[in-house]
Amino acid sequence: MQLIAKLGILADAAKYDASCASSGAPKRSSRGRDGLGATDGMGICHSYTPDGRCVSLLKVLLTNFCLYDCQYCVNRRSSNVPRARFTPEEVVRLTLDFYRRNCISGLFLSSGIIRSADYTMEQLIRVARLLREEHNFRGYIHLKTIPDADPLLIEEAGRLADRLSVNIELPTDASLKLLAPEKQASTIRQAMGVIYQGQQAVANEPRAPRFTPAGQSTQVIVGADATDDSTLLRNAESLYQGFGLKRVYYSAFSPIPDSPGSVPLAAPPLLREHRLYQADFLLRGYGYKAGELLGEVGNLALDIDPKLAWALANREVFPLDVNRAEPALLARIPGIGLRSVQRLVALRRERRIRYDDLIQLRCVLDKARPFIVTSDYRPAQAELRSGLLRARLREPQAPVQMGLWG
Amino acid sequence: MIALDCEDCFATWRDQARRLLGHGIDPAEVTWGQGPMDDLLAVPAPLPEGDGPFRARIPAALLAQLEQASRYRGEQRWNLLYEVLWRVAHGDRTAMLAGERLGSELHRRIKQVSREAHHLHAFVRFVPLPEALAETLQLDLIAWHEPAHDILDSASGHFAERLGRQRWLIATPRDGIRYDGKALDYQRNCPPQWQDWARNAEDPGAELWLTYYRNIFNPARLNPDALRQHLPGRFWRNLPEGPLIPQLVGQARHGKQRDGQALEVGMQRGKQVAKTAGQMAAELSAQRLAKTPAAG
Repeated sequence: MQLIAKLGILADAAKYDASCASSGAPKRSSRGRDGLGATDGMGICHSYTPDGRCVSLLKVLLTNFCLYDCQYCVNRRSSNVPRARFTPEEVVRLTLDFYRRNCISGLFLSSGIIRSADYTMEQLIRVARLLREEHNFRGYIHLKTIPDADPLLIEEAGRLADRLSVNIELPTDASLKLLAPEKQASTIRQAMGVIYQGQQAVANEPRAPRFTPAGQSTQVIVGADATDDSTLLRNAESLYQGFGLKRVYYSAFSPIPDSPGSVPLAAPPLLREHRLYQADFLLRGYGYKAGELLGEVGNLALDIDPKLAWALANREVFPLDVNRAEPALLARIPGIGLRSVQRLVALRRERRIRYDDLIQLRCVLDKARPFIVTSDYRPAQAELRSGLLRARLREPQAPVQMGLWG
Repeated sequence: MIALDCEDCFATWRDQARRLLGHGIDPAEVTWGQGPMDDLLAVPAPLPEGDGPFRARIPAALLAQLEQASRYRGEQRWNLLYEVLWRVAHGDRTAMLAGERLGSELHRRIKQVSREAHHLHAFVRFVPLPEALAETLQLDLIAWHEPAHDILDSASGHFAERLGRQRWLIATPRDGIRYDGKALDYQRNCPPQWQDWARNAEDPGAELWLTYYRNIFNPARLNPDALRQHLPGRFWRNLPEGPLIPQLVGQARHGKQRDGQALEVGMQRGKQVAKTAGQMAAELSAQRLAKTPAAG
């Protein structure tokens, strides 16, 4: 099979992995040296596809032959899709060609499971080794980690790659048993532990060889099973705390061709995915706890964002005086982001903050107005009940997208 | 009214501004422009001689901000910078903070400029030259780009970091830059020959990237507004994948949206994977176990 035909199949097979980040790598440069590639911590989106997603890396599978039969996966053993397999040299050639053209900043390589977990992991490592050692490639490399692979192989991958990821896909044992019978939650977490230990071992050793300097990430599928947002967020929180994960990606389940009856055929729940990303960002960036955003069970509201939802449920905290409140509390005002908080703190060192300043900072005042006090403004709506406020602030719901089968 | 022209060069503007500030010239009494003055009633006056008596203390951070903002192409490009400088020099630091009216515009320009530098890093597309031509031109890679602000000079070092000893050239409608594997050569006025090479480079190997782009797209998640927001339409015509965008949107709207698979992959023959002997043996023993009554 020709390279271009393989590329078509193995890119199509890789699109269900949401991650395409190329940020967080250490500073590397090829200026005046043999080889190719640089990283400086900043990610670059070199293109966008019409689904609005960023193209930062060459994201492909080494092969979409797979022994596993995960129901949600287009590449499962029983799926009737065309199959292909790259040689490691072919992936290297594509990576270098796209990189020279400035179409990508690196490679994100994953694979179906062939022969065994160890064999598959060895093949992924071989590609990274060729790139790094034969071609002096200093761009970004993200390798998918096969959960059941030997810890020594995972460690080897961690020394070559900027990022490793082990996908959880389904966060509960029950769902895994039902939809991904060959996978086990315990081995997934073991693999995460191996990566975390590798990172810890070099954490305070500036001279030690780098180990996944851009961290590890994972992905969960949203909407393939009955798992609720509360479970997803609590699970994410425990991964951030337990394994120092950089990111949890949420992937709204897209219907697959030749779909088994065990997974839905509905359009992907994109708004739910969006709310989960917002809530996840509140966990990572703003210091919220999952328990503050949702009770033991349930889903995030779709009509308002989770930060506004928290503010509406905690009216006793507001209104906050923008001239006095602690930065961490300012960041909890709906419509005021982290960057605006920094700028407000800088400005209030010079003089009192007025309502007009918030307009200049391009804060979302429609959301912020009921929750703030400035030197010349007090909300008339402070007494307004949360239910009424919510009715005013909710986002108009787009009509549900109708597929042709709908 | 003092009318000045700095030829869109920051160093020239800085010298002019320093002298104006030293003589205590108010921003309302000076204008930068090109060609005839906009204000017909103004009587042009010359730039005062010498440094002048007023010694202003300018924070270093402000100079860096002014230089960055000076790359912004737009109305009042240089006048605004002098207004900010004048106010800070006279003790009003809010003029350089984003929360204030003037500072807000300064920071908006800085943001637009750094966004445009980022667009350069993201959307430049190099075409590899065939070996013989590369030898003749002493160039391995060549690109045509149309930036909205003057960022080519300050932002192109990025490609020297990325491309090692490769020799490359980026031509734009105004300026151009060339790297010979060792040093950068920036031309304020792009040599027409460079523009010619960049605009007419043939690219027989382009199809791999286009195939990737078509197939990594998930039609079930169609969202052209998000694409447009991140990848403004003005870049499409210089991106090889630009013409594919409307085509893929059309296909998705006419049926392909029902699942995630690319059209051309769906048309190929599929193949199921057989279980391994190990997997079958494991299943068999599980079945046997299920049939055997549990002991004790």
